[in-house]
Amino acid sequence: MKKSSKNLLLVIFLGIVVCLPFLLDDYWLHVAILTLFYVIMASSWNLLAGYTGQVSFAHAAFAAIGAYISGILSVQMSISPLITLLFGSVIAAIFGLGLGLLCLKMGGIYLSLTTLGFSEIVHIIIKNEYEITRGTMGLEVPNLLGFYSKTAYFYIMLSITFIIIFFLAKLIKSDLGLKFKSVLNDELAASSIGIDTVKVRVIAFTISSAIAGFAGGLYGHYLLLITPEMSSLSQMFMILAMTIIGGMGTLSGPIAGAVFLQVLSEYIRIFGKFHLLLFGVISLLVIKFAPGGIVGLYRKITQSKTDLLKIETQSKYDY
Amino acid sequence: MSSLFVNIFNGIVIGTIYALSALGISLILGAMNVMNFAHGEFYIFGAYFSYFFSRSLGFSPLIAILLSLGLIFWIGFLVEKTLIRSTYGNLMDSLIITFILSIVLQNIALIIFGPYPKKPPSWIRGSINVLDLFYYSSQRLITFIVAVLLLILFFIVMNKTWFGKIVRAISADREVASLMGINCDKVNSFSFGFGVALASVAGAIISPIFGVTPMGGVGIGLTSVVVVVLGGMGSFKGCVIGGLLLGIIENIGVAYISSGYRNIFGFIILILILLFRPSGLFGTTIK
Repeated sequence: MKKSSKNLLLVIFLGIVVCLPFLLDDYWLHVAILTLFYVIMASSWNLLAGYTGQVSFAHAAFAAIGAYISGILSVQMSISPLITLLFGSVIAAIFGLGLGLLCLKMGGIYLSLTTLGFSEIVHIIIKNEYEITRGTMGLEVPNLLGFYSKTAYFYIMLSITFIIIFFLAKLIKSDLGLKFKSVLNDELAASSIGIDTVKVRVIAFTISSAIAGFAGGLYGHYLLLITPEMSSLSQMFMILAMTIIGGMGTLSGPIAGAVFLQVLSEYIRIFGKFHLLLFGVISLLVIKFAPGGIVGLYRKITQSKTDLLKIETQSKYDY
Repeated sequence: MSSLFVNIFNGIVIGTIYALSALGISLILGAMNVMNFAHGEFYIFGAYFSYFFSRSLGFSPLIAILLSLGLIFWIGFLVEKTLIRSTYGNLMDSLIITFILSIVLQNIALIIFGPYPKKPPSWIRGSINVLDLFYYSSQRLITFIVAVLLLILFFIVMNKTWFGKIVRAISADREVASLMGINCDKVNSFSFGFGVALASVAGAIISPIFGVTPMGGVGIGLTSVVVVVLGGMGSFKGCVIGGLLLGIIENIGVAYISSGYRNIFGFIILILILLFRPSGLFGTTIK
């Protein structure tokens, strides 16, 4: 596809997204806000898994840390959520940095194990320390703006999503992003040309935890109730499934995946308890038959018409 | 004092179960270089199938366990063939696939068996006086004996039989093993089936005591992984000692600190090991 027509499509898409509050009723606007949350989560997880090859299972836990820190501070010290949100994000980043330093030296499998363990620890602590977190009852938190308006919240979420996606796109195109990819493709070769692979990974891990913490805070102050469910493995699975179904290692993949799964789960609402099962089966099928996800399929269709040479030169992790 | 004994003994009993389950993970990791995150789900399915065969179809407990063992073996065999084979050499892909598989299996269990705990019938009633120190439930004692017998059987299979020799050869060097005429794909399917069957038999023999819930696999799967890391990746002996150690630590922790934090002790140990001795007690780090 030509660059100009691609840009035109993008502009039309953005135009529709910006007009959404006028097109949707209250309920679907709620769905749209949740979708934006998942877009942020899946995109930042993708920075880790898709661009630096570290499969972290603690992403949902970082979101929960952000949400709970922000919530507890705003409830107990009655600080404005606009400020506590940043605290939540910073604390999540500090945890991410610590966890990264702890296990990234050993790489790969140890990271996945430790993050899975960490996520369970967070879940258990939130459930058990009910004096502070109110356990499974959930913690009631104040609204971000002080007044309740879905439209306003939608635009806040939307602009933050834009900023984060724009930041991620710039990051991936920058020198650091190039280092991320080199670590993903060949760690040994990357370290042989003077890239500090551990440092690169820790940076990616810290950035993505900070984003997750921030997104978690936003989510909490929108729903006004934070429950331990936020840090559960099924929440983590949703983020993972969205990234995989959309297309891992691409910028637009997590966005496509998040929108697809959120809308799908609204349409199959009657089969409530089959959701996770269905999403799991879909993601297994995607991995098996279309490893590039939705974005990969789309590229296959559009590229088969253009010259073949282009496909060969295009790297797998290009976007 | 006797309560301390009971706690330690409880720890040893659950430790043998951890050891069995961890040996399955270790076998799969060694033979195939795949970290199976769905291990805990095979454990609960072992328990569910033995519940189904004994409670619903009325088989005796022993037959029910053997049937569920065979069934899980073939499910594992097929899972390896259809899902895992395409991820060879890519640890990350296998992590993601087995994680998704664990969510799928949990939800299948939730839909078929419901959210409430299910318990297969006990094999034996009553309790036994142990050395005049404390009374101990006969069911737990017999579970312990069966688990120890299974552990011994595992080591005999790995050290004395043709299958064990081949698996050890593949773990040591895959390429050379295939040059020697070993059909690696076939061995992989068998070792995955064998590995998850170990988890299922552990689940089946402990379930008359604790019962089984759809989400029960998460904790046991993680604990087994912790045991593997604690014992040292690639060491079967380490799995047994790590399992027993973790079982005892957990039970003492639960008794003297808080029962809500049962699974946390394992993770704290995991983090301590990663900090101070990444190779575990008996192993070498894997790349």
